[in-house]
Amino acid sequence: MQKGRCVMGMNLKFFDALKFLVRKPHTVRVPYEKKEPAKRYRGIHVNDWEKCIGCGNCAKICTCQAIEMVEIPTLTPKMGATNLRPQVDYGRCSFCGQCVDVCPTGSLKLSTEYEIISSDINDFKFIPNLNRDSGPGTGWESDIESSLLDFKRVEMPERDPKERKKDFDWVLKGFSEEEAVFEAVRCLGCALCVQGCPTGMYIPEYINAIFNKDYEKSVEWMFINNPLPEVCGTICTHRCEDACVYHNRGQAVQIRYLKGFAAGKVDDYEKVVGISKKKADKKVALIGAGPASLSCAFYLRREGVDAVIYEAQKVAGGMLKLGIPRYRLPDSILSKEIDFIKKQGVEIKFGIRVGVDVTFEQLLKMYDAVFIGTGYHVGSRMGIPGDEGEGVFDAATLLRDVNLGKEVKIGKKVLVIGGGDVAMDATRTALRLGAEEVILSYRRRYVDMPASDEEKHEAEAEGVKFMTQTLPVEIVRDKNGRITKVKYVETEMVHEEGARRPKPVPKMDNVMEWEIDTVIMAIGQKPDWSFLPDEWKNKIKFDRRMNHIIVNDDMMTDVEGVFAGGDIVNPRADAISAIADGRKAALGIIKYLEIRK
Amino acid sequence: MGKIREFDFEYFIGPAHPGVTGNMSYHIWAEGDTILKIEPNLGYLHRGFEKLVEQRHWIKNFPLILRICVPEPDVNEVLLAMAVEELNEIDVPERAQYIRIIVLELARLAAYLFYFGGVAGAIGLYTIPQWTIGDRDYILDLFEELTGGRVYHIYQTIGGVRRDTPEGFEERVLKVLDYLEERLKDYDKLFFEHPLFLKRTKGIGIVDKDTALRFSVTGPNLRAAGVNYDVRKQEPYLIYDRFDFDVPDIYRDGDVYSRAMQRRLEFAESIRIIRQAIDKMPGGAVNIKIRNPFEYRVRAGSTYVKLESSKGEYGFYVVSDGGVLPYRLHVRGPSFSHGLQLVRHIAEGTNIADISMILFSLDVCPPDAER
Amino acid sequence: MTVEETIKKDIETTFGELVRVEIERKHRVRAYTPRNMVLPMLAYLKQRGFHQFTLLTCVDWIKDGKFELVYNLYSLNYNVHVLISTKINRDKATMPTAINVYEMAFDYEREIHEMFGVEFEGHPRLDEFLLEDWKGIPPMRKDFDTRKYVEEKYGMKDLTKELFTRKEQPYRGPGSNG
Repeated sequence: MQKGRCVMGMNLKFFDALKFLVRKPHTVRVPYEKKEPAKRYRGIHVNDWEKCIGCGNCAKICTCQAIEMVEIPTLTPKMGATNLRPQVDYGRCSFCGQCVDVCPTGSLKLSTEYEIISSDINDFKFIPNLNRDSGPGTGWESDIESSLLDFKRVEMPERDPKERKKDFDWVLKGFSEEEAVFEAVRCLGCALCVQGCPTGMYIPEYINAIFNKDYEKSVEWMFINNPLPEVCGTICTHRCEDACVYHNRGQAVQIRYLKGFAAGKVDDYEKVVGISKKKADKKVALIGAGPASLSCAFYLRREGVDAVIYEAQKVAGGMLKLGIPRYRLPDSILSKEIDFIKKQGVEIKFGIRVGVDVTFEQLLKMYDAVFIGTGYHVGSRMGIPGDEGEGVFDAATLLRDVNLGKEVKIGKKVLVIGGGDVAMDATRTALRLGAEEVILSYRRRYVDMPASDEEKHEAEAEGVKFMTQTLPVEIVRDKNGRITKVKYVETEMVHEEGARRPKPVPKMDNVMEWEIDTVIMAIGQKPDWSFLPDEWKNKIKFDRRMNHIIVNDDMMTDVEGVFAGGDIVNPRADAISAIADGRKAALGIIKYLEIRK
Repeated sequence: MGKIREFDFEYFIGPAHPGVTGNMSYHIWAEGDTILKIEPNLGYLHRGFEKLVEQRHWIKNFPLILRICVPEPDVNEVLLAMAVEELNEIDVPERAQYIRIIVLELARLAAYLFYFGGVAGAIGLYTIPQWTIGDRDYILDLFEELTGGRVYHIYQTIGGVRRDTPEGFEERVLKVLDYLEERLKDYDKLFFEHPLFLKRTKGIGIVDKDTALRFSVTGPNLRAAGVNYDVRKQEPYLIYDRFDFDVPDIYRDGDVYSRAMQRRLEFAESIRIIRQAIDKMPGGAVNIKIRNPFEYRVRAGSTYVKLESSKGEYGFYVVSDGGVLPYRLHVRGPSFSHGLQLVRHIAEGTNIADISMILFSLDVCPPDAER
Repeated sequence: MTVEETIKKDIETTFGELVRVEIERKHRVRAYTPRNMVLPMLAYLKQRGFHQFTLLTCVDWIKDGKFELVYNLYSLNYNVHVLISTKINRDKATMPTAINVYEMAFDYEREIHEMFGVEFEGHPRLDEFLLEDWKGIPPMRKDFDTRKYVEEKYGMKDLTKELFTRKEQPYRGPGSNG
């Protein structure tokens, strides 16, 4: 051993060793200092119950099966949520944080807290809430960028607004197979969307079939509770997408267009769904050939019940055909699905108006049950000075006439009043009829418009001028009775105590004008009860305003054997609700006729 | 092999023994102090990872597969990501590649510190483990800051890493590197130039070049035998071809001393690589979107991916049938070569007092042999 | 000509049509070999300088009723991995041992014997390797049900199973085909 080295076998020189006298030790500090975990430390779970929707994806991704979804009876889930909450077993948890990265809402997080000290084994298994939160900015937090999920959807390709507003052809281009599969991958299969769908379609199942490119299987799933899948895949109000887990922080899966895509890929439904050969020896009459009646008739025929639809117009489809403009729902899609329903043996009697050509009582005598699916066909008017006469349309009539191919003359400067989907249809139809300038007047704010966002965006893209918080007060006509101007005032949103939403209050002192030659009113539609004899109006139970029929769970009215569905029953007033009603009514009728035992 | 007689001693090293990282035992027959025969006895750590992997989605395997190895878990994660990326032909963002390099090299530093402590401990110099394990904690602190975990980082994902570096991370890495370089001088004085160390390790446990090649020895053990073989140079994975570093080729005797010194020199090279990576690191995204973890599929096919771990060549043979689950994953741990057949061969005739040191100097890690 | 192509050509000229050789990518050559050609192939490659027996693994192709044995060899000179794939019958699987060519195959073959049940003919010690007192079918085979094993041995339940099977509606609707 060389000299000058430490006797203890230490190889350090004396002066080298000296510096360690004043050095801070690595490990235990004296006096004691608690080691703070790093900001990103993955510790115990924290779950914000307000944001958590109980979708169970955290339990699904857990490698260790440490997470179990537990029902919390005290929670009342909102739409698109369940009252399940994750319970974590820290005997199994490996603190990987993948549950956080897959959490669609971002409610879950791993805090920097890591101490659970207990002699009771049950304390290591609990339902996390915000109690152990270490504060924002600490722990393993979920953010959209580093999430395992992609919150961006594949956008539906559309035709160029400048081009498409010239004709009534379909504005959408449709998904390519690649796009559809790429979008279908996003579905996590948590099935919360089903809560949103009025008819409860098997959404995760059919999307998974699309992902596997098995479109026939997909259509099979759809037909279980929707006989008009491609129509719904084109114009549905997609409540399912609002309930989609992605909707909480990003864009929902394109459930609607995926459905349309898959249904469009199957040309012949008969091969997939088949035609029922059952016979039940019962007959049911259905009034109106809208989606409710079509759906009801389809499911009745599947069980062998004869279904006869009475339709006042010369065409089938109801509002699908007469209310929705062709650029949104091409005829080819509609006729494909209606033809298939007819193929099931559904008979449609065209041009027969119940109450005129045949009475309601006659139907009751001739058939074992009657289903009323007449819908809302009468457009309302505002009742302001000058709204009688030439140049003023109600949207329902205008759209019906355009769809029936009648010649409709409108001017160059069009004012549309209203803020719903029908108003959007009216503005865009007006553009296609040759209007140069279309103004949309709505009395509330832009965000309050009941029209769907994409309809609003599409209308704006096509050049419709949105004038929100305005209220027309008078239509001014010249000597010949032609409209020249519309006087209007602005409104102010006033929030009243206890009111659900702020109320528009017109500011009457400042009256302004638009140069207008045509006015279309899209301020709501009403049912037409004229086919019902007066005594029946008393027998059947209506709501207070005579707008809706009140039915029970089987869609049966107060009168035995009389069923109703569609817009005249439920205030949601969309196609998918009508289809749901029709299907429910079909089941109710079958139960009523007691043919299922 | 000497003949075993009735009155010869039988010993067991392990399953819990300071000479072996992890639980594994060696059954030894000895005549006096000389080993006649040694037989590895595995099974204490068999957790069936290869089977577990087959029942989990690709993404779910990241928290699982890295648990194979405690001292250096990151190689497992990176290899799984590399295999998936190769089969699916994914381009990993630049920044993620650099972060991966930093993680891998920091893990190598941590593993080498563990190794220095282990070898010193096996000799009986108990101060060094206390120093190195303490210094390793500074690297673990960096990992904690970057990945959220100290030992098991679970930081890699398909197509990149899970999170970007936190603010100021690079400076703190450089600070730790400065510190470690300074410490290396202390280690040299205290350990690598220590007469006891030289005396105990020189000429002991020789794995010469021929033996090394015959028994598929890889990594620092092979380099210490005089074969200049490093996967980072031979088959540059990730972006190792962009870095300027040397594979030290000074110690060629293949004894315990060479193996320790080889790692001592490589330690400094790793620090060089990290400095370059931090210097060159570009901005941008750190991962790609896999869209749906439950439906992520890997194209059918098989691949053998390998990288240079602190112990040697670490490889995954991955087979996919195009589904959401891996069809087969074989982990080729370097210890499978180093700890079994090689030890049977070289331990014969050595002194019983040296055996734990020889085992540790080969860096035999039972978990990656058993999986 | 790249190294990979040279090796491919050499193997093809030596073994003829019996062996199908593919270059998978740089540094990787795959040879699909019939069972009886594996040992000659290993011997040939060893003599060519493939010193490193990187691994031997087994893949259970249960649908085809085959085991695929993959021998992975590496040569420092060529810097190439040659993966020799051979398919053998799954029931009563046997394979001649490779330990006479590469002694590193010793423990790999023991492991595969234990985990897959492949008999290596001529291997001196196919005894317990990782498992202890194992009675059932070899655990790495695809038909070994780990879940059942865990449930029976440790009494653990699958927590996710019940949660994700949707409750069937009482009446699935007339449109259903079933």
